[in-house]
Amino acid sequence: MRLEKCYFCSSTCYPGHGTMFVRNDSKTFRFCRSKCHKNFKMKRNPRKVRWTKAFRKAAGKEMTIDSTFQFEKRRNIPVRYDRDLMATTIKALKRSQEIKAKRERVFYKNRMSGNALRRKAENQALVQKHIHLVDTPAIKLAQTQKLKEKSKLMDVDMS
Amino acid sequence: MGRLRRSRVHKGIRDIQRKYRTKRYMRDIDQIHEDIQPENASKFEKPELDPELPGLGQFYCVPCAKHHINKESLQEHQKGKIHKKRVKLLKEEPYSQAEADAAAGLQRADTKAKKAKAEAMMDVTETNTTTSA
Repeated sequence: MRLEKCYFCSSTCYPGHGTMFVRNDSKTFRFCRSKCHKNFKMKRNPRKVRWTKAFRKAAGKEMTIDSTFQFEKRRNIPVRYDRDLMATTIKALKRSQEIKAKRERVFYKNRMSGNALRRKAENQALVQKHIHLVDTPAIKLAQTQKLKEKSKLMDVDMS
Repeated sequence: MGRLRRSRVHKGIRDIQRKYRTKRYMRDIDQIHEDIQPENASKFEKPELDPELPGLGQFYCVPCAKHHINKESLQEHQKGKIHKKRVKLLKEEPYSQAEADAAAGLQRADTKAKKAKAEAMMDVTETNTTTSA
């Protein structure tokens, strides 16, 4: 049994699920579901469709280079079943998954880290641009006070 | 009153059915990408006469994978926007199953040759260490 990856969205194609398309040059394309198959038939490039893994990796939305990716490999050399090896493998899998999840969380946090500041600056810029629409007594008071101070300074200069 | 029209009534549209048929399956972008490589250029230089193709198969546009009826038609096509867009599209690397696998975090298979090479490298380093020690 082999778990293939979907050509379009890179998710896993489990046995008995999805479809396979064989082109007339005998190249095969596996699809995890009809959504991916339909998008392929529309000749879309997965790199440009925002919900695919290929897009997310190419656009820097997800972790790409990491040592935790070294575990999953297509191995063409069969290994004889060994109970101890199986047990250690499962143990190692769990541990590597934990580490991967942790690193992904850190990556996400880093990616989102500047957002709050950026949003605040944008909002402030918007308010400043349309300040004439904001008409509250407090702002009016501040403006009149500013004018008064200016006139006072001018008076001082005059004298 | 609620909605009277049935939903999902568009499935009988002939154009869409025809579009999805594989009978007229055009060459895919990765196949064309291979065609335009300089080593494959000789394949399209002197095409054989084929009575079933438009223009006896003599006026073929490789990037668009399309036969034309005469030279003028082919030249007019090559001046156009559709052709230029296709040429631009072919400049980028085509998408492949390998890329899909890489995006999923699946590494490439370690072939026998690669493994042997890695082992040889190990041997070299081992011998080096032994000689230096």
